[in-house]
Amino acid sequence: MYPILLPILFPILAGLCLLVYRKDLERKLLTGITGSCLVITGALVISVLALAKKSLILFYLTETLPIYFQIDEISVIFSVLTVVVFVCAGFFAFAYMKHEQKEKRYYGFYLIAFGVLNGLCFAGNLITFYLFFELLTLSSFPLVLHTGTREAIMAGLKYLFYSLCGAYASLYGIYFLYRHCDTLTFTAGGILQASPASPDGRFLLLVAFLMILGFGVKAGMFPMHAWLPTAHPAAPAPASAALSAVIVKAGVLALIRVIYYIFGADFLRGSWVQTAWLTLALVTVFMGSMLAYREPVLKKRLAYSTVSQLSYILFGLAVMDQDAFMGGLLHVLAHGFIKGTLFLIAGAIIFTTGKTRVDELHGIGKEMPLTMWCYTIVSLGLIGIPPTGGFVSKWYLAIGGLAGDIGIFRYIGPAVLLISALLTAGYLLPLTIRGFFPGADYDYNALQKREPARLMTIPILFMTILSVLIGLFPNIITDYLTKFVSSLL
Amino acid sequence: MIICIILLPIIAGILVPLLPFHKRCHKEIFLEGAVILNSILVWYLLLHHSESTFLLAHFTGDLNISFRVDGMSMVFAGLVSGLWPFATLYAFEYMTKEKHENSFFLFYTMTYGVTLGIAFAANLLTMYFFYELLTLVTVPLVMHTLTREAVLASRKYLYYSLGGAAFAFIGLIMVIVYGNTTDFILGGVLDLAKIGDRTNVLLLIYVMAFMGFGVKAAVCPFNSWLPQAGVAPTPVTALLHAVAVVKSGAFAIIRLTYYSFGTEFLRGTWAQTTVMIVVMFTIVYGCSRAVKETHIKRRLAYSTISNLSYILFGAVIMTPLGLTGAITHLVFHAVMKISSFFCAGAIMHQTDKRYVHELNGLGYRMPCVFGIFTISALALMGVPGLAGFISKWNLAQAAVDSQNPLAYGGIACLLISALLTAIYMLSIVVRAFFPGKDFDDSSLQDAHDPNWKMLLPLFVFTVFIILFGIHSQSIVNFFYDVAAGVY
Repeated sequence: MYPILLPILFPILAGLCLLVYRKDLERKLLTGITGSCLVITGALVISVLALAKKSLILFYLTETLPIYFQIDEISVIFSVLTVVVFVCAGFFAFAYMKHEQKEKRYYGFYLIAFGVLNGLCFAGNLITFYLFFELLTLSSFPLVLHTGTREAIMAGLKYLFYSLCGAYASLYGIYFLYRHCDTLTFTAGGILQASPASPDGRFLLLVAFLMILGFGVKAGMFPMHAWLPTAHPAAPAPASAALSAVIVKAGVLALIRVIYYIFGADFLRGSWVQTAWLTLALVTVFMGSMLAYREPVLKKRLAYSTVSQLSYILFGLAVMDQDAFMGGLLHVLAHGFIKGTLFLIAGAIIFTTGKTRVDELHGIGKEMPLTMWCYTIVSLGLIGIPPTGGFVSKWYLAIGGLAGDIGIFRYIGPAVLLISALLTAGYLLPLTIRGFFPGADYDYNALQKREPARLMTIPILFMTILSVLIGLFPNIITDYLTKFVSSLL
Repeated sequence: MIICIILLPIIAGILVPLLPFHKRCHKEIFLEGAVILNSILVWYLLLHHSESTFLLAHFTGDLNISFRVDGMSMVFAGLVSGLWPFATLYAFEYMTKEKHENSFFLFYTMTYGVTLGIAFAANLLTMYFFYELLTLVTVPLVMHTLTREAVLASRKYLYYSLGGAAFAFIGLIMVIVYGNTTDFILGGVLDLAKIGDRTNVLLLIYVMAFMGFGVKAAVCPFNSWLPQAGVAPTPVTALLHAVAVVKSGAFAIIRLTYYSFGTEFLRGTWAQTTVMIVVMFTIVYGCSRAVKETHIKRRLAYSTISNLSYILFGAVIMTPLGLTGAITHLVFHAVMKISSFFCAGAIMHQTDKRYVHELNGLGYRMPCVFGIFTISALALMGVPGLAGFISKWNLAQAAVDSQNPLAYGGIACLLISALLTAIYMLSIVVRAFFPGKDFDDSSLQDAHDPNWKMLLPLFVFTVFIILFGIHSQSIVNFFYDVAAGVY
């Protein structure tokens, strides 16, 4: 009847059933059910993207506000990323979660978050989007606090309240946008009629800034980034992978939708809001890298790296130039696959060795060669060395930054990106070096191979290959997006 | 007919201690029957109402006790009569653990009639009369447990309410002197010719009367009676201190603002600014205190303080849209808050736990109660798809539409309060469902969900929370018509 709803409702219902069912399931049965749900949902998403009708009005919340779904190119990019990362991290979890309690609860909320993310990708107006945005926060914070230590619970609450704070700041904007637009349907190029110079327009600029800050919380933008480095180390590794690769991207998706589909780039271009946004994004890029560079705990280091890399994307959006926008979208994919892989690898290391700090990991490359090779390849990708995914996206970002009409930022922007790339090398590669070249005093006799289980290595390998593939064949994506990006800007 | 409706619960209440019931269940059937019958009569009256005014007693001149059914009365009476049968059902189960049942049900049922009197009052004097009466019949309910704490709370409640009513009385006098009539007429009854250059005096009187009625609506700084009154049995806190009594205060303020003074006279004056600042402050203040409070019922009471000011915020925007928002929140908040209070009551009844930090892990023992509590918490936060989002949406749209810069600040207050609501409600939910690693739940073996008398009301309210959330058009349109004076 409504095929577009299937990939949203099916995992949510499946997850709810898992949560409500009171008895404990046998582990094999539980993973079997969850695994098949993940695969079915993935298949549903792909088939909906390929086949189904592209829009649907479900019902009206108030007289003029429908719950409305609509699939466009942006939805495709984000839902493909979601499916890949969620399925991979899900299967990884079957091996990883062995030593955690209450697995059923984890899988329940994991499936719900999956469905909610699909809803977020398919949302066709701002209210529907906001609905799923709130639900995403509510369904993903149990993943963060899953281990149940005091630290994890505090991290979960911190994530929850930061996200809600951002969501409410955005809601303030939505109230005003509705008044000035009469509809909140996403339309390429924006729907706002007011001119930025009028009194209403000046207030709307303030509103736009508030919404950028608000949705920026989820995307870890300075000054509201602090939840990320707390939440990631506390969460189980597959949850951090999903969080870092996809869930934080919800903030990016939100900003794309609000700025390019509601306000319109023309409304903001050249205003103080753009300047402020660029500044914040660049500050975050630099600060994130610096903090990652100084951080000894691997997962926390990766979390700071996420803070920095996400602001690459935000920088691309803030430039409001076709190439930069394209770069941002490519980086969404590249960073999604890469960071997902990195967190899974961190999880595999913790699972097999129990070590969390980078300086404890001497000779890890000798013990887990396959895993560490994957680590090295995706690290090179994140630094931006060709021919991996990160190179293409950063290329586009830099080109766009240089060509964009953004004054002094034309020079500062690419410079900061380069410095940050250097720092990225500085914080990612030491693990490779320590891992493969443990030094003269390393005891080779005590070495034992302990490659993790196949359920862990296959998802890691798969995502590594994907991240290389988008670097090798970026044309498939850019060709698909070019026409659409020019309609936005 | 109207008199009949008001008197029936009062008489039924008085009969409770007089009739010789052999078994408890007979008494329950008698009370529940009376309350349901009355609710049916109310709904019949609302659906077949006539425009005419029913005159009961006539004093001198304009002064009379009379009743009429108009839009606002339909909303308030409909709300109260919808909730009362469920609250009574819940009370039967709850009161099994308390003493002096008869006196409790005596006053509890009488309050129903008195509240309907406020709803159906056709003029300011009648409303004032029932307003005072409401204070008097609810004092024994607060005092119910007769502990020292309860006696102090009820004394405070009495003094606050009577004091507030005295201020409201001044407003009444002024409306008599400077108005054409004391009847409620949408748009106000003040005669500008009579006022002449005494506008500022009247505005001052309005602010005083606002604060007077605001005592019942727990406006800052007159709100400290409400958390203290939480010592009363939960059916009282839930129905009276989250709906009937406190919303009578909000209802009275709406009557005063829209039907007596008139928004034309007040809009844009310093009086509007003053009351709006007071209300905005109360919104944030109530929530902040709720975050700090660890006693569950007192926490919810502070939350009520904040939410009542949402309603008043809508009211003091002084546009039809503002009134629509106020009415929406008046009704929706009633359902959400009574639901969360009943959950708190169920927890107290089943486990004797009263403080937030005692709730660890209880969610797995009482899944229905905590599931429903979670839904009401999300609704109060304003998650889309639940009732709270719609009412906040209407309030915010009214504020945006009014073009009043102060109201823009008010929206910010609403959202700050939403965040604080998330903090104080979700911290309970998180404790209950995520007690932490290695939590030992052997001490909770005895705790379990309550029986159907408590669960049925909870389920019904939850259904309404969701229903209002996903399909609000018809009811909001009705509220809009009420605010536009169609009924």
